[in-house]
Amino acid sequence: MAVFDTPEEAFGVLRPICVQLTKTQTVETVEQLQAQLQAVSDSALQQLQQYILFPLRFALKTPGPKRERLIQSVVECLTFVLSSTCVKEQELLQELFSELSACLYSPNSQKPATVSEELKLAVIQGLSTLMHSAYGDIIVTFYEPSMLPRLGFAVSLLLGLAEQEKSKQIKIAALKCLQVLLLQCECDDHPRSLDELEQKQLGDLFAAFLPGISTALTRVITGDFKQGHTIVVCSLKIFYRTVGFIMADEQLRSISTVQEKPAVEHRVAKLMVHREADWVKNTGDKLTILLKKIIEGVSVHPHWKVRLELVELVEALLLKCTQSLVESAGPLLQALVGLLNDESPDIQARCHKVLRHFADQKVVVGNRAFADILAEHLHSLATSLPRLMNSQDDQGKFSTLSLLLGYLKLLGPKVSFVLNSVAHLQRLSKALIQVLELDVADIKIVEERRWNSDHLSTSPKTSASRPWSQFQRRYFRFFTDERVFLLLCQVCQLLGFYGNLYLLVDHFLELYHESVVYRKQAAMVLNELVVGAAGLEVENLHEKHIKTSPEELSKIVTSILEEYTSQENWHLVTCVEAEEMGEELTMQQSGLQAITSGSSTCQVTSFPAFSKPSPTICSMNSNIWQICIQLEGIGHFAHALGADFRLLLTSALYPVLEKAGDQTLLISQAATSAMMDICLACGYDSLQHLINQNSDYLVNGISLNLRHLSLHPHTPKVLEVMLQNSDASLLPLVADVVQDVLATLDQFYDKRAASFVGVLHALLAALAQWFPDTGDLGQPQAQSVGEKGSHLSPRPAALEKGLEKSTTAEDIEQFLLNYLKEKDVADGNVSGFDNEEEEQSDPPTVDENDTVPDVEPPRPVQIQIAADVMERCIHLLSDKNLKIRLKVLRTLGGKCGDFLRSRFCKDVLPKLAGSLVTQATVSARAGPVYSHTLAFKLQLAVLQGLGPLCEELDLGEGDLNKVADACLIYLSAKQPVKLQEAARRVFFHLMKVDPDSTWFLLNELYCPEQLTPPHPSLHPVQLRGAVGQQNPYIANVLLLLQELQ
Amino acid sequence: MAAPPPPPPDPQFVLRGTQSAVHALHFCGGAQGQGCPLLLSGSQRGLVHIWSLQTRRAVAILDGHRGQCVTWLQTLPQGHQLLSQGRDLKLCLWDLAEGRNTVVDSVHLESVGFCRGSILAGGQQHWTLAVPGRGSDEVQILEMPSKTSVCTLKPEADAKPGMPMCLELWQANSSSRPLLLAGYEDGSVALWDVSERKVCSRVACHTEPVTGLDFDSQKARGVSGSAEKALAVWSLDEQQALQVCGTHKLTNPGISDIKIRPDHKILATAGWDHRVRVFHWRTMKPLAVLAFHSASVHCVAFAADGLLAAGSKDQRISVWSLYPRT
Repeated sequence: MAVFDTPEEAFGVLRPICVQLTKTQTVETVEQLQAQLQAVSDSALQQLQQYILFPLRFALKTPGPKRERLIQSVVECLTFVLSSTCVKEQELLQELFSELSACLYSPNSQKPATVSEELKLAVIQGLSTLMHSAYGDIIVTFYEPSMLPRLGFAVSLLLGLAEQEKSKQIKIAALKCLQVLLLQCECDDHPRSLDELEQKQLGDLFAAFLPGISTALTRVITGDFKQGHTIVVCSLKIFYRTVGFIMADEQLRSISTVQEKPAVEHRVAKLMVHREADWVKNTGDKLTILLKKIIEGVSVHPHWKVRLELVELVEALLLKCTQSLVESAGPLLQALVGLLNDESPDIQARCHKVLRHFADQKVVVGNRAFADILAEHLHSLATSLPRLMNSQDDQGKFSTLSLLLGYLKLLGPKVSFVLNSVAHLQRLSKALIQVLELDVADIKIVEERRWNSDHLSTSPKTSASRPWSQFQRRYFRFFTDERVFLLLCQVCQLLGFYGNLYLLVDHFLELYHESVVYRKQAAMVLNELVVGAAGLEVENLHEKHIKTSPEELSKIVTSILEEYTSQENWHLVTCVEAEEMGEELTMQQSGLQAITSGSSTCQVTSFPAFSKPSPTICSMNSNIWQICIQLEGIGHFAHALGADFRLLLTSALYPVLEKAGDQTLLISQAATSAMMDICLACGYDSLQHLINQNSDYLVNGISLNLRHLSLHPHTPKVLEVMLQNSDASLLPLVADVVQDVLATLDQFYDKRAASFVGVLHALLAALAQWFPDTGDLGQPQAQSVGEKGSHLSPRPAALEKGLEKSTTAEDIEQFLLNYLKEKDVADGNVSGFDNEEEEQSDPPTVDENDTVPDVEPPRPVQIQIAADVMERCIHLLSDKNLKIRLKVLRTLGGKCGDFLRSRFCKDVLPKLAGSLVTQATVSARAGPVYSHTLAFKLQLAVLQGLGPLCEELDLGEGDLNKVADACLIYLSAKQPVKLQEAARRVFFHLMKVDPDSTWFLLNELYCPEQLTPPHPSLHPVQLRGAVGQQNPYIANVLLLLQELQ
Repeated sequence: MAAPPPPPPDPQFVLRGTQSAVHALHFCGGAQGQGCPLLLSGSQRGLVHIWSLQTRRAVAILDGHRGQCVTWLQTLPQGHQLLSQGRDLKLCLWDLAEGRNTVVDSVHLESVGFCRGSILAGGQQHWTLAVPGRGSDEVQILEMPSKTSVCTLKPEADAKPGMPMCLELWQANSSSRPLLLAGYEDGSVALWDVSERKVCSRVACHTEPVTGLDFDSQKARGVSGSAEKALAVWSLDEQQALQVCGTHKLTNPGISDIKIRPDHKILATAGWDHRVRVFHWRTMKPLAVLAFHSASVHCVAFAADGLLAAGSKDQRISVWSLYPRT
């Protein structure tokens, strides 16, 4: 709040101090003056400006040694006055400018005087304030040629400060002041913009400072990162504004070749620069050197704001000085392109904006020189890429690839011209292939198994819009940084988008064929090319670019797909299939399947021509990855083609589904996610829906592959999955393919029975599910069975149960019973006279019941199928392989309990239980290697099979106890974990059948809590497994008891 | 040591879902770019399935023969019109244009036999149709679409060739006179001059009824099959006289259908022994035995682009790509 509003009042107050100051110049007096000034209004101060300034200027000008402290306070006071007033006279402005500048000048040296930092700061601020206080037009006249020496002095002073001072504050202040001096100030106090002529005159004047400013600033900019980003940002700003102003094409265009005679004295005239063509050329060349230095230093600056400012620099210079700085265009574009993929999203956004701006202004495409420069750079980058990918670290690779990506983005549609050159394409592809090489030494890949063969339950809704974003972690030989991989993907996508897709796909397919070493990488590239060609992940900077048409893309995808799923690329050795690989198969594999061992991290083993090949871990890993990549590719293709992919399902669905059931975890995962991609792309709600709607395609594949089972050993598995996901509407199809399956099974009883039993099980389960009630079709049969049953067997309980059950099951049971008994009879194994007689009368009973007399009554299709299946199962019951027998038992057990129960309890159970008990002692003591032995696998198989069997066969108490006793030992913590787990499963099943006795049994082993009787008159119960007692069963018993509650 | 012959190929794909035996096959579209290629199949239960070869699924099912077996299918060259012959004694003309599938006309047939019809259609509006006639040994010639009877071809009284079993109308390049090749129950093949209503030539090719024949008008050579274990190749000289050039033994007896590929390079037979056999047409060298079906093969058909389809009693249609032309 000003106390003295009028000049008169103020003068009265200030006069004594001013007088005193003139006489004795002390800090105190100056401070007093300043304190008084605070109370004077601005208007009054303006009136008294000259009067007040006088003693202050006097104090500065007084010759002789001065105390710095005094000068500082004088300058501060002066600054205060200037900040509140305007300088309206040209002369005053010039004088004050000189006087202030002189404060830091030491007459003895060229360098700024060695004065205190505070003084320097005060003077800088004083200068800055002075320039701001200059009123209206006088600021323009200030920059007349005669001022050149004094201006030059100030500029070099400020540059010196900015460069050499230690204090960050001073440096920044000096730079800001320089900005003001060069009329680049960003504050609002400069309302008047300069007209063309004035700009030109200023340009002429400033041109004299350009060398000094540019070199000094370059030193600052490329200085230590530690100096802080503000200084660098500020210097960059001054640099490009100054260069952009002096070298502006617009100004230079109007410069005449002959220099006008300036109306100044000779000494000054010599300093003046004439910006004619030669000068421009020379300066441009020198600036290019500086710019290269700056770009080199700044593009890797750790602070993002600095890099952002570099983008501004590029934009400003490329827009304003296209001609004058044509030599720098290359490095400038490179800088921009390199920052396109900066880690900071702000910079990325800014770069894209700049690029868009350039594209709009046709800076690159419309400018042949620029396009040529870019093409040339791309060429040289492609040339050095393989070497760089080899030698650089991850960060280096990242920036190199960012650069590559940027060039491609900028070139846009011109990419396809560049890649028409074979040399270019080869270099580029070689580099991509090289850097994408996978590290396949990890043993886990082969080892990880899919244990549960549960239904496919995942629905595509759970995955994100870009479904493969959570792809499996891959390990590359040449980099570990995930970002490098993403960049590579983007590069490929961009190539696919802008390049000639036919050419590129051809080229990479050729590489794919050329060597196993390239195969995985080439597939990765192909996958991304297609995604890019569909324009899905690509931001198009060039609006006129026409992307590949869906028809063409579809054709291309078809050919890649064919390649991927061909026998030699799809059926690779991924594990040592002890069970499923028959001798004959192995022999064929040696010829047919590509056992790849080409990866250079692995030892390349060469097999003698006819020996049994033993694939190395590396080669199997490599194969696994190849399949995964191809599967991922199929997902990508679906994504790229959208609903058009439906047409490709004829050939793609079967192979993918086949891999979904693969034993190797990675492959199975990759296949499932590919199927989800397909679901999303083709509009299926779930995997079930996909499978169900396309069962005809699957059946086609299954039926054709069954013809060459040795080449397609997994075919039954595909059918199994299909059956699990189908419904009754597909019965005709199923009936059709089951004929093929059974015919094939008949050929291969000895070798591949196990895989077929799974199918048969799935088939029966599906049939039972599809035709659950006893109505319609099944009625006559049900009755006939019922009648028959009543006089056949003395088992009313079984009969009741049978009637409750589905027709299918009943019929099957009957069929099986008849069949077995007939077989017994045929074998001469006559057990009792009564039975035999009834046996023989059975089949006619069935026939009599049929209603249509003349035509042979067709059985319902599902029953016919079931009967056919049973016939095979009986045969398989005698198979040598225990695993198959167990599986068959389960298959049968689900559908025809009674008979099996008796057979099972009498013959099978004792043996199984016995073997479990004897083996338990061995496995309890075994080491980690034990899990690879046959004995272990048998134990596991038995334990896994027993639980469901107990439940399905509905065993009685005595037999259940046998099972429980045999499995109990396996609850011990000493047993291998897998066996413990399996044993727990058995108990889960037992709990379902008889929870009470299971509870009792478990508590006998270990009783976690004291049982208190409900009434005090009852005796407390004491179970054998007392609390607190240490025994190896505790953990598992607790788990199971928890489940029981 | 000579390299073993390559294993016989698998079908390219199999079409399922007719749910009854397949008795007639016919390809249409595709080669001339008339939309996506189609395969038509006629089943025992009287249905005509229209299969898209692109999606490998039935796009439409035509029901026009009251559950009676469809024995012959033929599209007209002009456009989307289909002829289907059924054992309900009806020959239906279907309009398939723009997704329609309606019977626009039908011809009542007088013979219950197995003989399939044949057409001769140039580019014109009018076309000629040959079908078995009223009398057991007659062939009736109709002017279509007006359905006016042109003539009835009845063998001379003393010839007694039995029923006509298969017909093939054709026209020599040099003349506009329609000619008809007919295979008869007695194993003979006769060439009729339709306009003069007389037999030009007749030759005994088989001892059993002729079940199928096809004729290559470029080479003036034809081939026929019958219930016996041999194929007969015969030729036609300038005087329009038929001569048997040779017979070719088969492993198993019984041919249901025989077709020469449109490029006249190979021919295929549908065998009762569940197999499709492929021969080199010029040399009659056996090239392949296509084993896929589990019951007798009833019919074979070639597409303009060379694709082969075979329909069988096992209710499946197998589609094969053999020696694809590059």
